[in-house]
Amino acid sequence: MTEELVWAYCVAGAPHGVSESGVEGRPVEQVEAAGLAALVSRVPRSEFAEDALRRNLNDLDWLARVARAHEDVLEHVLGETTIVPLRLCTLFESEDGVRRMLEQEQAALAHALSALSGRDEWGVKLILNKATLEEAILETSPEAVAMRAEMEGKSEGGAYLIRRRLERHVRDRVDALAAAAADELRAELDRCVLACVTRPPQNPELSGYTGAMLLNAACLVDRGGVESVRQVASEFETRYAHLGARVELTGPWPPYNFVPGEPDS
Amino acid sequence: METNGGLSARSTNPLPGRPATEANLADILERVLDKGIVIAGDIQINLLDIELLTIKLRLLIASVDRAREMGINWWESDSSLQKLDPGSQNGQLEQENRELRERLERLEQKIGASGD
Repeated sequence: MTEELVWAYCVAGAPHGVSESGVEGRPVEQVEAAGLAALVSRVPRSEFAEDALRRNLNDLDWLARVARAHEDVLEHVLGETTIVPLRLCTLFESEDGVRRMLEQEQAALAHALSALSGRDEWGVKLILNKATLEEAILETSPEAVAMRAEMEGKSEGGAYLIRRRLERHVRDRVDALAAAAADELRAELDRCVLACVTRPPQNPELSGYTGAMLLNAACLVDRGGVESVRQVASEFETRYAHLGARVELTGPWPPYNFVPGEPDS
Repeated sequence: METNGGLSARSTNPLPGRPATEANLADILERVLDKGIVIAGDIQINLLDIELLTIKLRLLIASVDRAREMGINWWESDSSLQKLDPGSQNGQLEQENRELRERLERLEQKIGASGD
């Protein structure tokens, strides 16, 4: 048994230039078989064998470092060739194991590569500032305006009850408007991309967003087609600027969410 | 605001309060842990193993239904997200409950004050 395992990043159709360093600073190599190439690094068994891996994956700093390194290797080749991303922690005992995998999975991998050729994944998020939305409703909703007028000159108790009603009204309107805005953006994306999937909103602690994430979508886009997504995003932001809406576009990503045969979330 | 589609250009529209220099960790983790093709390697690690990752990480990769089964529900207390999640009533009920309690408290104070 050697001291090393082989970490696989992705599979590509044609040989290509590889990035200089990958997971834990290890050199990236190319393993070829069955007309396919896999990008791999040799990694220490002490860190990546099953028990160690189980422990390390629960260490957020370790996981963040390895996940970013994995992603960096994929991004390095993304612009040059079509790739099928492998899930994190696809590990083999040796490069022969990688070759066997390429031979065994040849049909599925070749199919995935041809389906993804010339296409990129883009992330689209809708983030709304709820305080702005609440203020807008207080100012513009006829019911809210009427309730505020009604509160004038009322006793403390009477005003209190109206205020409660007003708060409920504002909350309901915030929810309805936010849901409608998310639906509207999703429908517009569906019209201009090849495929669109939505993911659960992200944990604010890890994502760093301050507003409410109403839509977290991944879209498959033809390489030339991202301008139409950009346009949808910018027009949507303009249309909802008074409500503090932001549409954030990220990418191009490796096509993680669109490998054929993978179940959608 | 336009990017050239370059690999380093992750964000075209950074939000206040978050760094635009490197990709959001949540963006990466939700992809590398939960997506990408699954191929049986020689080391078998099930990333969806409930014991494998901490709850905070699970949150990123769990589907809403799966997360609810596990008792994760942070989005349910965020009222603007509830309408996106039709199964959720808890947040609204909690808020209503809180309001009723506050109201009761005020009424009790009033009764107490007038009874003096």
